[in-house]
Formats: sequence, C-alpha cells, structure tokens
Amino acid sequence: MRRREFLMSVAATGAMAGLAGSAHAQDRPFTFTSWGGALSNAEKEAFIDPFGTLKGIPVVNTSPTETAKIKAMVQAGKVEWDLVDVGGRTVWQGGKEGFLESLDLARIPNAAKLEKGWVSPFGVATSTGASIIAWSKTAFPEAGPQSWAEFWDVKRFPGARGLYKYFYYNYEAALLAAGVKREEVFPYTTEKADMALGKIKELKPSVSVWWGAGAQPPQLLSTGELALSSAWSGRMLAAEAEGAPVGHTYNDGIAWANWWVIPKGSPNRDLAHEAIDFALAEEQQAKLLTLKTYGPVLGSATAGADAETARILVMAPDNVKNMLILNEEEANKYSYEYEEKWNQLMLG
Amino acid sequence: MKRRHIETLLLLAPAVIFLGLAFVAPLARLFSLAFTDEAGMFSTFSTLIDSEVYRRVMVNTFLVAFAVALITVLLAWPVAYILTRLKGFWFAFALYGVLFPFWISVLVRTFSWMILLERNGPLNRFLINIGITDKPLSLLFNDTGVMIGMVHVLLPYAILPLYGAMLRIDQRLLLASDGLGAGLFDTFRRIYFPLCLPGLVGGATFVFLLSLGFFITPALLGGSNAITLSMLIASFINDRLAWSLAAAGSLILLVIVLALLAVTARFLPFGKGVYAR
Repeated sequence: MRRREFLMSVAATGAMAGLAGSAHAQDRPFTFTSWGGALSNAEKEAFIDPFGTLKGIPVVNTSPTETAKIKAMVQAGKVEWDLVDVGGRTVWQGGKEGFLESLDLARIPNAAKLEKGWVSPFGVATSTGASIIAWSKTAFPEAGPQSWAEFWDVKRFPGARGLYKYFYYNYEAALLAAGVKREEVFPYTTEKADMALGKIKELKPSVSVWWGAGAQPPQLLSTGELALSSAWSGRMLAAEAEGAPVGHTYNDGIAWANWWVIPKGSPNRDLAHEAIDFALAEEQQAKLLTLKTYGPVLGSATAGADAETARILVMAPDNVKNMLILNEEEANKYSYEYEEKWNQLMLG
Repeated sequence: MKRRHIETLLLLAPAVIFLGLAFVAPLARLFSLAFTDEAGMFSTFSTLIDSEVYRRVMVNTFLVAFAVALITVLLAWPVAYILTRLKGFWFAFALYGVLFPFWISVLVRTFSWMILLERNGPLNRFLINIGITDKPLSLLFNDTGVMIGMVHVLLPYAILPLYGAMLRIDQRLLLASDGLGAGLFDTFRRIYFPLCLPGLVGGATFVFLLSLGFFITPALLGGSNAITLSMLIASFINDRLAWSLAAAGSLILLVIVLALLAVTARFLPFGKGVYAR
C-alpha cells in the first residue's frame, strides 16, 4: 500500500503546484487584449505601448478577445485581462450580466469630447471602422453600387452577392435599401425588424456567401467568386493597398467602433481608466492616421489628415455625413430577439 | 485484495485520476449548468425542443454526419485494400499520402478547397476545358462543398482502421475458401467482408462521431443552411452567453450519441462475435 500512498501524494502535490501557480495573478503586468491582426497592431502602436512608456510600467498586448472568456474569468474570480477590446454587443451584455466594471466617467474626462453614441456606462469607443459596400472590379470596372438600394438592385448590378452571416449590419443595410431614412433606422421596432427580414428574404436567392470572417469578402471579390459584398472597411483598404482588383464606397456605410471595457474585479482598474483616457487624447488619436487601417473615434483628430488619408477615415466629416452610426444597444436587442427568426431564414 | 489487483489499480491510477480531474469533473460541471436556468430546472430543454431551428439543425447535423460516414467508408475501402497489397517504396509512398493531410491544419485544408472549388478555380476550368460542362459548376457554399471538405478531412480516420483489419486477415483463409470451391464473390461475401467488418464499423463510427462535431469546414464551405449543432452551441456560448442552453444542447447530443452507440454495438458485437461463418 505504500507505493499507492506515494503515488497519491505525488498526484496531490502536482495539483497543488498547479493551483499555487495561479495565485500570483496579481503580480502580472497590465494586460490589454484585442482582436489580433491590423487592429491589435494599431492599438499597440498608438495607445498601449506609449501608455506603458508614459507610466513606466510593463504592458502586455494579447489576443484574441472573447466575451465568453471575460464572463468565465469574472465568475471564477480570476481576472487576467485589465482592458479588453470588444464588439459593441458585449458592452451591453456585460452591463446587463454584470461582468464589466461600471466606468467612472469623471476619471475619463476626454470621453466628453466624443459623439454621444461612442460612450456608454460600461465601455468607451477608441477607434472606428465600418461595414461598407464593396465590389469586384472584374464585374464592375467603372463603379459598383453607391447605396444599399443599388446593392439590392439585381438588374442594374447582376452577380453573386455576399452578406454578413448574422442579423448585425444586415438589419441596417436592408432598412436603408427599403428607403428608411438614416435617422429612423433606430430605435429598432418589431415592424422595422420584420421589414428588414422581408427585404433580405427578397435578396437571398442572389446571396451566395454569408461570410463570417473579415478576410472572406476581399478574397472572394478579388477572385470573382462574388461580384459585390458587404465588407469591413479595414480589410478592404488592406486588400486594395496590395493591388487586389476590388473597389469600395463609404456611402451608406454602417459605422461602428472598437469598444474598450474593463472586466469586473480587474486588480488594475485604476490604470485601465487612465489608459482609456490616454487613448482618447487628441495626440494619441491622431497617431491612428499614420497607420491607415482603423481611424480615430475623435472627430477633431481627423482634421490633420491629408486628403488621401481623409478618404479612408470613418470620422472624416465628408465620410461620416453619408454614413449611419450603428446603435450597438439597439443592435444587441434585435440580435437577441430575432436570433430564432434569423436562423430560420438562413435554414431556408 | 490480491496483489495483482493492487498492481492493476496502481497502474491505472494516474490515467484515471488525470481523466477524472481534467475531463469527467469539468464535463459534469458543464452538464450541471443545464439545470441552473432561472426559469426552472428543465426550462433549457423545453426551450431547445420548442425551437424549430434547434430541431432542424439537429436533424441536418445527423444527416450530414451519416452521409459523410457512408461516402468516406466507400472511398476508404479500395485505398485500404491497395495499402495491404503494396510493398516497399510504393507502400511508404501511399501510406504517407494517407497520413500527410493529418499534419496540415484543418483550416489550411479548408481554405485550399475554397481556392480549388471556386467558380473560376482550377477544377472548374479543367472541367470546362475537357468539355464536361460549359458553365462553371457551383461546388462551393452549398452541400457539395461541405461534403468534399469533410470527406477529405476525415478519410484517414476510415482508412487506418480498415487497413488494420484487412492486414490481420489470414490470407490462407482466402486460399482455403478458394480450394473448397467458393467463387470470388462468395469468398468476399462469406470470408473477406465479415473479417473486415470490425475495421469498417470502427472507421465509420469514428467518422460519424467526428462529423457531428464539425465546425470550421461547414462554416467556410457551406451555404446559409450549413448550420451544424456545434456552431449553434458555440453561438449560445459566445454570442448569446446562454451557457445553460449550450450545456443542455451538448447533453442532448451526448445522450443521443451514447444511445446510437449502444444500438450499433448490439448489432455489431466488436471483439467477440464477428468471425467468418
């Protein structure tokens, strides 16, 4: 029996060591988590690394971000991330389910300079992108559709289409295509959501791809598999910079933001508040201009951009006036309430 | 306790303890979540059963898994047979041909299929050039694409058990059957096929079970209706944050799979009963 006891104690010691290793989470450096790719690079360069230098503290940039992981960390009482970039839906889910810190806006004075839609009790937007209309230049050498109404026009713009695989962005695009005015798209109502579903059902026979990954639209458009598609602005800009035969317009684009939140119980929540305020300072926001992927959220920071850069910035006055700003709180509502109906439409 | 028993226990202990802590306990914890919904202990199950989407996705997932298992086994059979006949260089070549895809990530293979199957891709250009079709076939973003991608990923899982079973067959049994006057077909039906059966059932079951959990391939190669159960469960976890619903969905899937396995195991007793009759 001695051998067995020995083995048991070895196993127990191993388990204890594993637990002890995680008890030192408090000693870890300030940790920022984002989506990876171009966005993470932009945030690291413009915000997080300069913040670490300013405070003289080590900072860690990690990816990918995941809402379910934040919830699990908070539930387990072991928060490993101090500041997280999330999609807008998470901000409202986190507020409702209680896994995000309620922000003390008095400690983020720079937030007052932002558009109202970019600040919420549980998260603040720090950079912007958009869901835009994009096309293949093989299919339309001159110019593709300039509005969602034209995107829906299968006679004038024939060819296979791509749309996002969730109700997100499609609700807005369909209503704009149906002729609803930009300022009337929100708040969402069941009549409007049903109208949007009907409009999407109408286009569905021409939609051959319901994309889920941002890399898909530029790839499918450049090979000619799709003639036109909705797409994320940053991805199209990157593809065009590489010389892919694709085009896009910001007209009728749906502008959204990359939101920063603090998981509840983060040991560095004071630093995280400071970091948000730091990222919203004009100087830091202007740094995004040189990176040419995701634009500033602060309108005044676009003033310094040259004409060529201004064309790719969501918040540049000439662009944003033709765009719809996504209301994430409403989008969270229709996504949740229409999930079953949306999936039914997809299953066809 | 006898000394032998103690030794067996000790030898098993590390694996059992590891599985218990790292697999059984978290699984039990996950399944317990299914009964913790605010609306009542079994409300998650009634939500799922009432959902037309969940029912249809469940049926679709099983149909796709069944079709993939069938096609995979049919394709695996000749490959496994040829593997038993090859020797030396050609055997190594063929075996690495089967194993090689194992070492490439599923994501990379799926993206490669996207490039191959495109409307203007190499396969369609080839078919048009040799005159089989004059318009490009739509091979992507529909069930054809999903089947091609899944069968390719899962083929080795069917070939290897089949090959193992075929290799173990005593060739003298076939000679004996021949010597006793059985024709080629009779020898196959009464000797060769029954002896392959454990490998066949093993491979098919393997492929079927793996298909049930497929995620990346149908998401990238399928059309709008290619929603699998694992995608639905992932969306419960990540998008809706309804973990009790995800737990209930997983539990139902596990119960159905165990029930199916119990039934197939009854009809096809592994180990003891599958001999040439």
